Amino acid sequence: MNNKPKIGVYVCHCGINIAKTVDVEAVTEFASRLPNVKVVRNYAYMCSDPGQLLIREDIEKEGLNRVVVASCSPRMHENTFRKTLAAAGLNPYYLEMANIREQCSWVHEDRDEATAKAKKLVYAAVVKARLLEPLYEKEVDVEPASLVIGGGIAGIQAALDIANAGFKVYLVEKTPSVGGRMSQLDKTFPTLDCSACILTPKMVDVANHPNIELLAYSRVEEISGYVGNFAVKVRKRARYVDVDKCTGCGICAQECRLAGRIPSEFDMNMGKRAAVYLPFPQAVPAKYTIDPERCLFLTRGKCGKSPKCADACASGAINFEQQDEIVEFKVGTVIVATGFDTFDPARKPEYGYSDYANVLTGLELERLVSASGPTGGAVVLGEGENAFVPKDIAFIKCVGSRDKSVGNEYCSRVCCMYTAKLAHLVQEKVPGANVRVYYMDVRAFGKGFEEFYDRVRREGIRYIRGNPSEIFKRGDKLVIKVEDTLAATPLEDEVDMVVLAVGLEPRKDAREIIDILRLSQSADRFYLEAHPKLAPVDTATDGVFLAGCAQGPKDIPDTVAQAKGAASSALVLLSSGKVKIQAQISFVNENTCRGCGYCVEICPYGAIDLVAVNRMGNPVQVARVNEALCKGCGACAAACFSGSVQQKSFMDRQILPQIAVLGVMK
Amino acid sequence: MVDVEKLKEIARETVSRDDVKYLIGWRQGTYGFRTAPHFVGTPEEADNLIFSPLCSHNLATYLTLVEKLPVPRGQDPDSRKVALLVKGCDSRAVVQQLIEQGIGRDSVFVIGCPCRGVVDLKKVEAKFPGMREKVSATWGNGTIIFNLPNGNVEVPRQEVLAGKCLTCRYPNPLLSDLNFGEEVAVWGSDDYADVKNLEAGSPQERWSFWEEKFASCMRCYSCRNVCPMCYCEDCVLDRLNPQWVMRSVNTAENTAFHLARAFHLAGRCIECGECERVCPVDIPIMKLNRKLSKEVREKYAFEPGLDPESKPLQASYRPDDKEDFIL
Repeated sequence: MNNKPKIGVYVCHCGINIAKTVDVEAVTEFASRLPNVKVVRNYAYMCSDPGQLLIREDIEKEGLNRVVVASCSPRMHENTFRKTLAAAGLNPYYLEMANIREQCSWVHEDRDEATAKAKKLVYAAVVKARLLEPLYEKEVDVEPASLVIGGGIAGIQAALDIANAGFKVYLVEKTPSVGGRMSQLDKTFPTLDCSACILTPKMVDVANHPNIELLAYSRVEEISGYVGNFAVKVRKRARYVDVDKCTGCGICAQECRLAGRIPSEFDMNMGKRAAVYLPFPQAVPAKYTIDPERCLFLTRGKCGKSPKCADACASGAINFEQQDEIVEFKVGTVIVATGFDTFDPARKPEYGYSDYANVLTGLELERLVSASGPTGGAVVLGEGENAFVPKDIAFIKCVGSRDKSVGNEYCSRVCCMYTAKLAHLVQEKVPGANVRVYYMDVRAFGKGFEEFYDRVRREGIRYIRGNPSEIFKRGDKLVIKVEDTLAATPLEDEVDMVVLAVGLEPRKDAREIIDILRLSQSADRFYLEAHPKLAPVDTATDGVFLAGCAQGPKDIPDTVAQAKGAASSALVLLSSGKVKIQAQISFVNENTCRGCGYCVEICPYGAIDLVAVNRMGNPVQVARVNEALCKGCGACAAACFSGSVQQKSFMDRQILPQIAVLGVMK
Repeated sequence: MVDVEKLKEIARETVSRDDVKYLIGWRQGTYGFRTAPHFVGTPEEADNLIFSPLCSHNLATYLTLVEKLPVPRGQDPDSRKVALLVKGCDSRAVVQQLIEQGIGRDSVFVIGCPCRGVVDLKKVEAKFPGMREKVSATWGNGTIIFNLPNGNVEVPRQEVLAGKCLTCRYPNPLLSDLNFGEEVAVWGSDDYADVKNLEAGSPQERWSFWEEKFASCMRCYSCRNVCPMCYCEDCVLDRLNPQWVMRSVNTAENTAFHLARAFHLAGRCIECGECERVCPVDIPIMKLNRKLSKEVREKYAFEPGLDPESKPLQASYRPDDKEDFIL
C-alpha cells in the first residue's frame, strides 16, 4: 500500500460553540492549502452520524489515510472518531485531533485572534498526522476470579454480588470475623433498624456461599501483575485453633485463665474477653482465635500446669504449634474495601478524652447502648459502687472533622446523623435525660435525614450552635465551656457525660495497600478514585476498584451502593473474559537506554522494570515496559535523559515538528 | 602532610589484586602546573602517581566514559573492578552514579583522598605566567606551596583555589573502600552568593550576560564530555531525528544546548566544576548549574550525590513538597 499521507481535515462548528468565535470557513480554506491535505470540510456537528459519515465516505472514496478532526478535546470524542476510522477500514490511530474548542473558542473572545490560533492548531495537527503510525490494541485474558480486601459491609456486598454472578471471590479480612464497623453499631439512622439484624444474614451468606473463599484473620502481602492477571499472596495468620475441628462452643473461652480480663476490641475496650475469643456472638466464621499477644501459653510458654482451653476442648481444636500460612492465587480484579478508623480524640486535648472517663466517643456510646454491648444496653457509666446513670448528656459534633488544626478539612458525613440517632437512643433509654448537642452546622442531606433531625428535636433534644473550647472537671461534673453563637452568650454547661462525635479517618495502615497496589491518595488521605464524577469506583490502576469508606466517608446506603458499583465494574471485566490494553503505550530503545532507572522510579503504575541484557557481549541493564501495565501517561518519556523511552503516538519526532509549526507561524 | 609514597604503595597493592582491572589517579602533566589522569595497570606504573593541590580532574567521569568494546563470542567480559582515587567532590559523582545505576557498586574500588582544595589553573597561570618547567605543589598551613625552579613560593590558599573549593562543604570523600590520608576539617560554607548576585539583575541584564557568554560558545562539547553525570552512550543532543539542537553554531542553538544540559543536570549536578574548568572560552557554566542546585535545595531540601541508598530527586516526590511555584 502506498502510504504517502493523504489527509482529510474536518473542522467542526460545534453548533455555535466554535463557530461563534472561530471563522470556520477561513480555517477550512487555510487547511486546504496545507501539505498532503486532500480533503477539507466543515460541518455543524462532526460527532453526529452525518458528520461521521462525511469522514467515512471520504476515506472510502478519496483514499484518505490520515484524518484530522478540529473540534473539541480528545477527552470527548477521540474514541468516537477512532471508531469512525475503524469502520472505514483505516487504523484508528491514524486520527489526530486539534482542540479548537476548549483550548481556543471557549477561552478567547477576539474572533480574528481565535481564528488565527485555530489555524495554527490545525496546521500542527496536520504536521503530526503525517508522522502518525498505525497502532494495534492487544487483548489479554481475564482470570475469572476476584479479590475483595476488607470484610465490612462494603466488602461483603461486593463479594456476594460477584459470587452470585458465578465468579470465584477471595474475601480477605484482617480481623478474626467479617462484619466490620457495621457490626459494632446498635441502630442505623434514620430508620432505626437494628444494624446486626440486617447485617448478619449477609455475613452468613458469605460463610455459606460456594463461590466465596473467606480468608479471615489474614492480610494481603503482595499483589503483582496487571488487570486480568493479578497474582495475590495472602498471609493467613495462625489462630492456634484448628478451624476444621472448632465447633464454636466457647468452652475454651469460659475456661481461659484470662477470661473477662482482656479489653474487647469489638466493645471499644469497654467490655472484657478471654485470651481465646470470638469477637462477637454472630462472628463469621464462628471459630475461636487465640490472641497471641495475650495468651499466657504463647507469651510465656506456660499456662498453669497445662493450658485450660486445650484441656477443655472436646474436639481437640486447640493447636499451639500452628504456623502462619501463605496462600497464593490469581484473580482478574481487585476490590479495595478496607474501611476507616475513627478519629482519635486524644488529638484534641481540650476535650479531655484522655483525662476524663465520662468523655466517650460516638462508637463507644454505640457499644454502650447496644443490647450486645458490655452493659447489655444500659446507659451506665463507672463500675461497681461508682456506677451511675448519666442524666445531663452533651454531644459535641465535628470532632476531628472540618478541622484544619488536626489536618482534616473534610466533612465526615455520618456524624450529624449518628449524633441525632445516639441522642435519640440515649433519651429513650434514660428517662428524664437532658440531652443537648453542640454543633457547627447540621448537615442532614440524605433520604429521610432532615425528617429524622426534625423528629429528635421535637423529642426535646436541644441543639446549641457553638464549638466548645474546653472541657474540665468541677466536682463530679464535667463543665463544657462554649459560646452559644446564635445567642452570642458564653456558657458553662455542667454535664455527666460528654459524647464526642468523632469523624472518620483513613485506616492507620492505609499505606500498606497503597504500597501493594500503587493506589493514590486524595488530599484527605483516603484512596483516590479515577474520576470524582464519572469513575468514582475505579482507580488509576485498571482492574482495581474502591468501595466504602476506604474511598471517603460515607454512610451505609452509600457504601452498599458503591460496593455494588465496584462489583458490577469488576463483573464487566470478569464476564467479558478479555481486556483490551492501551495501544498508545511507552516503549524503550534498548540500544540507547543507559539503564539509570529514572523511568522505573517515576512510573506511577509500576509498569517499567530494569532487565539485564547482553549488549555486544557486555552485560548491561535496560528499562523494559510491561505493556499490560502501561497506561500511556508519558511520565517515563519525559523523564528519560537520552530519549530512549518514547510513547507511541507521542514520540519526540512526532511532537517536535508540531511545536516547530506553532513557533514559526505568526 | 600528603605521603605520596604511601599512596603509591596503596596503588601497587590495589592493582596487584586479582579483581582490579586498573587504577585511575593523577600524574604530573607535560609542562607547567598541569596534571593529567594516570591509568595505572601495573605496580610499576604507580611510581608516577601524585596527589597535590594541582590534581583538579574529577576522575569519576572515566568510570562511564570508558567504551564498552564488543566481547568476542566465547569470551567473558572483563568484570574486574576499576580502582579510582577520589577527592570529596569527586566522591559525590561516584555516589550519584551509584544512585542512577550508571555503575554497579561492585564494579568500582574507591580510594578516598581527603582534600584541602585544588587550584584554579587559570588563577595560578596568571600569577606565574609563561611557566614551561614542570612544577609540583603541596598544601601548606592555609597556603599552597609551589615548588618553582627558582625555589618554593608560598601563596595564600584563597588566592589560587578553584571557585568550587572556596565554598566546599564536602572535602572528605562520602564513599570509599579505602582511605588515604587524614580527614580534613570542613572550611567552606555555601550561600550561593554568586547565583544571588546574578539573580539580582533585571531579566534584560541577565539575558545580555548569558547572550554574550553563549555567543562565544563554539560547541566543542568539552563540558558535556568531561561531566561525570553526562554518561548516556547516545546523547539526545546528538540525535538527528528529532534534532533538538541544530549543528550550526549560533547564539540561539548554543543557548538551547546549554539550557538543555542544565535541565538534564537539575538535581543531579554534584558541582565538581569540571565543565567550567575545561571550557576553552570561559563560559561560567557552573552559574547555570548552581542556579538549579539552589532551586532544588530551597524547594525540596535535596542535594544529589550524598547517599548511595537515596532516590533521585525526580523520584523522591513527597505530598508536602512545595508547589507554590506551579502556576
